[in-house]
Amino acid sequence: MTDLPMIDLLGFWLGIFLTFCILSFLYKDNPFYKFAEHLFIGVSISYVITQQYYNVLRPKLVDRLAHADHWFWTWDVFALILVVLMFVKVMSSRLGWLGRYPLAFVVALYAGLQINGVAQADLGQQIQRATKNMDLRKVNVNKMCKQSDDDERKACIERQEKALAGVPGISSVVAVKVRKGAEQKPFGSLDDIAKLATLSEAERSTFSAARGSVIGTDAKAATTSGQRDWFGIFSQILLFIGLLASLVYFYFSVEHKGTIGKISRFGVWVLMIGFGASFGLTVQGRIALAIGRVQDVAGTNMTKHQADQIHGPVVALVSVGIIIAGLVIWELREKRKRQAGPTSGGEK
Amino acid sequence: MKKQVPIFITLVVGFFATLEFYLPYSGVSSVQETLLRFGQVLAASAFVLGGVNVIQVNYPIIRRRGADWPFKLLLLCSAVAMGLVGVKWHEVGGKPANGYVRAGAIGERACEMPDPKAKKPGKKVACGYIRVEAGREDAQVKLDGDAPVVNGKPHPSAWAGDQHLVLKVPVGKHKVDVSVELAGYGKFESEFHVEAGQTIALNTDLVMLWGPTGRVYTWIYDHVFAPCNATMFALLAFFIASAAFRAFRARNTEAALLLGAAILIMLGRVPFGRAISASLPEVADWIIDVPNNAGRRAIIMGAALGAIATGLRVIVGLERSHLGAGE
Amino acid sequence: MAEARKQDWIDKLHDFDRRWIFLAMGIAIIVPFFFPLGLPVQVSPMVRSVYDTVEELHEGDVVFLSLDMDPASVPELQPFYKAVLLQLKQKRVKIAIATTWYAAPPMLERWIRETVEANFVPDDAPAEKGLPDRDHVKNKLAKSKEGRYVKNVDYVWLGFREGKEAVISGMGKDLHDTFDGRAADGTKLSDIPWMKDRRQLKDFKLLILVSAGFPGIKEYVQQVQARYKLRMVGSCTAVSTTDLTPYYDSGQLLGLAGGMTAAAEYEKLVNHRGSGTQGAEVLNVGHIVVILAIIFGNIIFFVGRARERKRRAA
Repeated sequence: MTDLPMIDLLGFWLGIFLTFCILSFLYKDNPFYKFAEHLFIGVSISYVITQQYYNVLRPKLVDRLAHADHWFWTWDVFALILVVLMFVKVMSSRLGWLGRYPLAFVVALYAGLQINGVAQADLGQQIQRATKNMDLRKVNVNKMCKQSDDDERKACIERQEKALAGVPGISSVVAVKVRKGAEQKPFGSLDDIAKLATLSEAERSTFSAARGSVIGTDAKAATTSGQRDWFGIFSQILLFIGLLASLVYFYFSVEHKGTIGKISRFGVWVLMIGFGASFGLTVQGRIALAIGRVQDVAGTNMTKHQADQIHGPVVALVSVGIIIAGLVIWELREKRKRQAGPTSGGEK
Repeated sequence: MKKQVPIFITLVVGFFATLEFYLPYSGVSSVQETLLRFGQVLAASAFVLGGVNVIQVNYPIIRRRGADWPFKLLLLCSAVAMGLVGVKWHEVGGKPANGYVRAGAIGERACEMPDPKAKKPGKKVACGYIRVEAGREDAQVKLDGDAPVVNGKPHPSAWAGDQHLVLKVPVGKHKVDVSVELAGYGKFESEFHVEAGQTIALNTDLVMLWGPTGRVYTWIYDHVFAPCNATMFALLAFFIASAAFRAFRARNTEAALLLGAAILIMLGRVPFGRAISASLPEVADWIIDVPNNAGRRAIIMGAALGAIATGLRVIVGLERSHLGAGE
Repeated sequence: MAEARKQDWIDKLHDFDRRWIFLAMGIAIIVPFFFPLGLPVQVSPMVRSVYDTVEELHEGDVVFLSLDMDPASVPELQPFYKAVLLQLKQKRVKIAIATTWYAAPPMLERWIRETVEANFVPDDAPAEKGLPDRDHVKNKLAKSKEGRYVKNVDYVWLGFREGKEAVISGMGKDLHDTFDGRAADGTKLSDIPWMKDRRQLKDFKLLILVSAGFPGIKEYVQQVQARYKLRMVGSCTAVSTTDLTPYYDSGQLLGLAGGMTAAAEYEKLVNHRGSGTQGAEVLNVGHIVVILAIIFGNIIFFVGRARERKRRAA
């Protein structure tokens, strides 16, 4: 394992120091935070510009114009004109209205893309799903595929294995084993699946762990055809009613009074449960971001050799010490300035 | 001119972008590809414009020594530094070579080695030599896609102690790559034919790259941009805990439902929830699958209708707020 | 007197300095990091669906991997990325990698060097007890060449393009044109045999989307999934999960792994304990702190409100 060069070691230490500079904002806005923030913004500006130039502007505009026989007769000259007009807006307030041309282009293009995108994906497919068949039946684990035609039989097997793979505790690999097991000897009960000789110990334990009559294996699978998944049906109905009630809530052309008001209120409750779920996951997401910083400082995402060279936790403690000392000095200076009053010195 | 032309542009481009979906002709498709390319160029230019704007805002503050002007100066200096480092200076005047190949005379030095393809040992074949004259101590070499084997072990380094690495290879075509582990340096790749007794010398001087894949640029990204970017968002973990204590009150039924669902999700989605009750993860999954999906679906559908309506209004020119107020 | 003392206590809690909460949160994140609870992770059906869909791939299939993220979203998304990459490598699936986020390229180039071109499973990694489906797949990657993908032979790095929906729509129409006919290193896509005829996203067996926000999974679903009937699975940040579950429910996404715990679940499925599993340990305590903060905050609120009502009634 090669050692990190000194410059890279210093880089990691700088990164840890900047991390704590930004975290010092939790105390209050202070010069360490401002230092890190402004350094970051400055670096980001040029980072973004260079990335956009080399990855987009150069291949899609500069190179195309440079390699064209007569660049002023190519369509790309219109792109160049629009880019120039965009910058004219910033350079001259008198000619700023020219910036409307590229803006109009961009707004129209993305509006067109959005219209088609949401119409198909967000409206069409979602309505299709919302009106899905609610009469959910349990998967029959003993279903046989005995069609004489090979293609039909193959399709039947695929459907059966796909249906079995959707049952909790049965993966796509186990689904194949269950289907073959049922062909050899139909299962008397779901307990017999756990006794299949072809299953490994781990597969058996996964299957057993997923058993449950409300939303587990027993709720979704059965040994005969035609059995209903009652909790699933209840969930689908609730999903549909919740959707309609929420849509009623968003319909403001009618006053929300009486029956409409009650339905709308139920819709609000459904939305609130959804927002609660969103909040719960947001908490997870935010904490994960902080965990990431701890992992980086501790060196989790690098090799042990590199982590040992960097001594992340030690550097973290030193950084915290420097920042605390700095903050103490800064607070004392600020206190003295406040005591001295606004008349002394005078800042612009 | 000031309003009519932009409205006309909006109408033409918007209608085309919308109708293209329904017109399966190659001519229409190629025009759409051109429009998409223009859109990408303008999107990229907008970022450049944003950068210029930041400089326009901060430079006057520095000039008049406004509030926090030293920090604004740091901002501009770091922007300039990163900008300079982001230019591909090594390509100015042409792309640099990272080395060259010197072919020695055929048969200059006698060479025989065990046949690597032979199933039984003992068979020998004619061979040649590849001498790697690496300019850097940390240079790594690959022969035909893999680390060369020296004395029965993989030997990725381009050095044998403090001597240049010399490899015995069977006669034939070979590919050699010389690189360094660190990012931001050029690579030397060469494919050549080795004759019996011939020595092929590879003199490599790996150039330090500049620009977006360069050494310094990557260093600044890894040790300034990335930690700062990540930590800015990490602050949110603390603020959400504070907000949970100070602001999230179950003042009414709706708020109580929200908080109740949030608590169930927070417990159900981590291993601790399963330790409390085996049902908690299932309850959490059910909340996400049923009531959450019901509400989200309604929001998605409502937002879709709004997006379609607004999009059509913009395209036909009824909505002109993006073109600014005034004449 | 006792009533007055109790009121002071309530008032003090009302004006509680939030920096103590920050400190509590900091401790809740750091301590379990070094002293984990060791609770096992259970795989949820949505994450299982992602895994099963990727398991259906065969050697030589080509997938499109879009890594739309920034350094801030690494803790939630990188564990999934590594786990799914391990699964793809074990199947010898070819990968075309791209991004639509400007903050990603240098980070992704490093990831490619460290995880795609190198075998990131250590040679001395102990055998993990994972889920049963891995029994039939031996982890042969340690010590073998199979774990090290070769550029433009086993994978291609297409690079970054700006444009949000325009780029995604463009990739759906003509991938080669969107990337100007070249990979990020300048190699012509037409010179790569397995990319030559793959000109649209529908030419890939599967799209794996790792996304931190906008543009991301939602834009892929809107712009290309419905139009070209693409097979897509995704990993997103926890924040975005509830926005995307309707797409999973409607079948537009074949699987969805949302957040760090989902990434930990995926690591369990592929028998690779990584930073996701480690992070899930810390999340246990973090969540408890937030729950306690909510509960205590509400207790203070209700007690305060009751006291106020009593005072008004008096």
